[in-house]
Amino acid sequence: MTPSPAVSTSVHLGSLTLKNPVMTASGTFGSGKQYADFIDLSALGALVTKGVSLEPWSGNSGVRVYETPSGMLNSIGLQNPGVEAFIADDLAWLREHAPDATVIVNVSGHTRDEYVQVIERLAQEDGIAAYEVNISCPNVDRGGLAFGTDPDSAAAITRACKEAAARGDGASTAARAKRPVIVKLSPNVTDIAEIARACEDAGADALALINTILGTAINIQKRTMVFERTVAGLSGPAIKPVALRMVWQVARAVSIPLVGMGGIATPDDAIEFLLAGATAVAVGTGNFIDPTLTVRCIERIEEYAAEQGFSAVEDMIGALERRDIP
Amino acid sequence: MYEPVEVVSNEAVAADVYRLRLRAPQTAPLVRGGQFVHLRLNRHAAHTPLLRRPLSVCQVYGDELLIMYAVVGTGTEVLAGKAVGDTSMDIIGPLGSCWPIEEDVRTPLIVGGGLGIAPLGMLAHAFRDRGINVKIIQAAQTAERLIVREAHERVKRDIVFATDDGTCGYHGIVTDLVREALAERAEGAERTGDTAEAATMFDVAYVCGPEPMQKAVSEVLLQAGVRTYVSFERRMACGVGACLGCTVPTIDGLKRACADGPVFAAEEVCFDDAIASRVH
Ligand SMILES: Cc1cc2nc3c(=O)[nH]c(=O)nc-3n(C[C@H](O)[C@H](O)[C@H](O)COP(=O)(O)OP(=O)(O)OC[C@H]3O[C@@H](n4cnc5c(N)ncnc54)[C@H](O)[C@@H]3O)c2cc1C
Ligand SMILES: Cc1cc2nc3c(=O)[nH]c(=O)nc-3n(C[C@H](O)[C@H](O)[C@H](O)COP(=O)(O)O)c2cc1C
Ligand code: FES
Repeated sequence: MTPSPAVSTSVHLGSLTLKNPVMTASGTFGSGKQYADFIDLSALGALVTKGVSLEPWSGNSGVRVYETPSGMLNSIGLQNPGVEAFIADDLAWLREHAPDATVIVNVSGHTRDEYVQVIERLAQEDGIAAYEVNISCPNVDRGGLAFGTDPDSAAAITRACKEAAARGDGASTAARAKRPVIVKLSPNVTDIAEIARACEDAGADALALINTILGTAINIQKRTMVFERTVAGLSGPAIKPVALRMVWQVARAVSIPLVGMGGIATPDDAIEFLLAGATAVAVGTGNFIDPTLTVRCIERIEEYAAEQGFSAVEDMIGALERRDIP
Repeated sequence: MYEPVEVVSNEAVAADVYRLRLRAPQTAPLVRGGQFVHLRLNRHAAHTPLLRRPLSVCQVYGDELLIMYAVVGTGTEVLAGKAVGDTSMDIIGPLGSCWPIEEDVRTPLIVGGGLGIAPLGMLAHAFRDRGINVKIIQAAQTAERLIVREAHERVKRDIVFATDDGTCGYHGIVTDLVREALAERAEGAERTGDTAEAATMFDVAYVCGPEPMQKAVSEVLLQAGVRTYVSFERRMACGVGACLGCTVPTIDGLKRACADGPVFAAEEVCFDDAIASRVH
């Protein structure tokens, strides 16, 4: 497939320009190096890392992944080596082996202060394009989802992270202080638009949605819950219709850019999210099935834009024909 | 490595046990004993089953992979239905760690339980190619499930069998045979001047089978001072070390079965925690 040179593929998340709208979803792509044998990491619009917390987290015990019809449940519990080890190992690897990749670091915490400290520490480092603040992980007991289901908490975290990003550690360069803050929303709420608006008002540069949907599974032979923490996060094609609806809904509620995700398994799925109003898309579980899916999405989106007569991918965002209600 | 594969053959060798040959010319030369491939059952359609299935490579023949698998659920059932010439599947691999073969190995022991003998196939061949005499202890529920037994017998290996029902070889559990083999070697080694390999204590052991069996056998071997390796199966999503879905508890914390394993040094694994965290 020779991409049409006429189509401009770049999109913008706040002050950040992405070369194309296709990103990876946090937690499904490791720190990138695990997929470097399969794709050129610098071809991605952005690479989003696994969630990073202040201290090392060991994650959950028991079953961690479990397949469901057209989807999977996970209960990883944000296992990560902590921000120092992340910088020393993963970020160092990326800077050396994928210097042209656009890296977005996904940030987690048990408390507001922990989020702030992670960002302050990351602000001392080069090789990061933006922060994605995860206020929607269903797999940890403290923090995570609790922040993402209440508009006031979501706004408070957003504000604190935004301030930390702008302030850095005091020694940050101007470029580092301009890094956008993307807030990642949970679908496990009654009104996602309300949370989205709260984050926008609190200064979020962009929103990412959706994180996994709360679900569970039962082992009927043992008559036990499959997961030690009882609940787990559902991802994969099964959640796509829900994710698409939420992106469409939030696109109407806010004016900041959205990163749409949830169940993207084909390039056409990615196009649907753009048409629903997402500025960029992220591939998660789809990487497990086809490690080259991101690259296929990049190629197809460009081709589709040309076919449909768009001169820029950015013009595709929310470009739905009006449908008059009878 | 990503590669579409073609089914060369796919036939039942015992109740619910299949022997699958896949043409995978790019992957085949890269595989080392103990590694696995992550198989997508249908690359064209359908989200059922969604995830890839990890399967060990039992042998490599030219540009073909031999896989032995048991039908245990939806995915392996779909696999059993694949006809010769099928080109709907693809693999990523080879993945994971391999059975380490140190330069000075002279008297290795292989212990396989059930289908656990499959991931040990390439290792056994590697020893044969180096002219090293390997002792094999193979166990299964019943004679029929002693897979690849004929292949072993053809090359007249130093091999003994155990079955739970006594239909072939020793009637009882595999640890008894391991203890017996250790005792024989210990006795032989005591006799002065006897330097024959068969009379020397095992310098390394490779164990694969159900986890409780791996635990029991490893305990016996480690106690006898034999360096021991085991292989761990976990439900997997990515298979490449990215999702942290397949962790095994070890003395150095959690390790990924797909990328740090599946082969681990036995003394490194926390068996009780590992067994408790399985699904099945
Ligand atoms: C590194 C590795 C190598 C393997 N090599 C082989 C092999 O050479 N031959 C072989 O027959 N099997 C092997 N397995 C196990 C094989 O992957 C599973 O049996 C298979 O994925 C089950 O798929 P299913 O859809 O048929 O079963 P499902 O419907 O998914 O599950 C049915 C049953 O299989 C169990 N199961 C599911 N996934 C796994 C898994 N990853 N490991 C162990 N049990 C599982 C479930 O707990 C359940 O009891 C290996 C697994 C790993 C991790
Ligand atoms: C195994 C796994 C681990 C994940 N870890 C994280 C994480 O650390 N931080 C985060 O914000 N989202 C995490 N997610 C959520 C994904 O980024 C994504 O929002 C969700 O899976 C929906 O997209 P998908 O259906 O394409 O996978 C994880 C998802 C999976 C499947
Ligand atoms: S299966 Fe994803 S890390 Fe092992």
